[in-house]
Amino acid sequence: MKTAAVLVLAVVGLFFSLSGAVGILRMPDLYTRIQCSSKTITMGALPALIALVVGEGVISNYASRALIVAALLMIVNPAASHALGRAAHKAGVPMWSGAVRDETAERGRRLDAGRDTDSDRESQDDEDGEGAGDGDRR
Amino acid sequence: MSHTLYGILALAEVAIGVLLVVRLAAGPTISDRIVALNTLSTQAALAVLFYAAFADRTIYLDVAIWLASFSYLGAIVWARYLERGLL
Repeated sequence: MKTAAVLVLAVVGLFFSLSGAVGILRMPDLYTRIQCSSKTITMGALPALIALVVGEGVISNYASRALIVAALLMIVNPAASHALGRAAHKAGVPMWSGAVRDETAERGRRLDAGRDTDSDRESQDDEDGEGAGDGDRR
Repeated sequence: MSHTLYGILALAEVAIGVLLVVRLAAGPTISDRIVALNTLSTQAALAVLFYAAFADRTIYLDVAIWLASFSYLGAIVWARYLERGLL
C-alpha cells in the first residue's frame, strides 16, 4: 500500500518534471521557458518530495529534509524566475515573433507618457484611456 | 524494494537533467542558459535527496538543502548582472 502510494506520487512528479524539461527544450521564447521552469518544475518536484516523505515516514531524517527542500523550492523558485524574467526584459531579450502583447513595456510607456519619446515601437493600442482601461482584458 | 525505487527515481531525475544540459549548451541568449542552470540545480537537489534515501546516507541530505537554497542565490546574482551590468 505504501509502496503503491510512493510509486504513484513518484510517477506524477516525474511526469511533470519531464514535461517541464521538454518545455524548456521546445518553447520558442525565453519567457515561455521561464514559465515552464517556474511552474512545471516546482510542481514536479513537490510530488516527488512527498513520495519520499510517504516512503520514509513523516518522523525521519529524510522526511524533515524533504519538507525543508519543498518549502524552500516553493518560496525560492518563483522569486528567482520573477527576477530573471524582469532582468531579461530590461536587458532587451526579444519575445517570440508570435507574441501579441507586452504589458511590461506598455506599463513603462504609460508611466513616462509625459515625455513622449518614441512612438515607433507601439504594439497595438497604447493610447486607450489610461485610468479605466488598464485592467487586463483577456 | 523501496530502495530500488529511490535509485530509479534518482536516475530519472538525472536523465531529466540531461535534457536541460542540451538547453544549457544551445541557449540562444545568456538568460536561457541561466534558466536551464537554475532548473538543473533543482533537479540535482532532487537527485541527491533520492540518492541519499537509496544509499542510506543521511549526510547527503544537507547537500540537497544547500543546492536548493544556493541556486536561488545564483539566479539572483545572475539577474542582477543582467539588469545592471555589474555585480
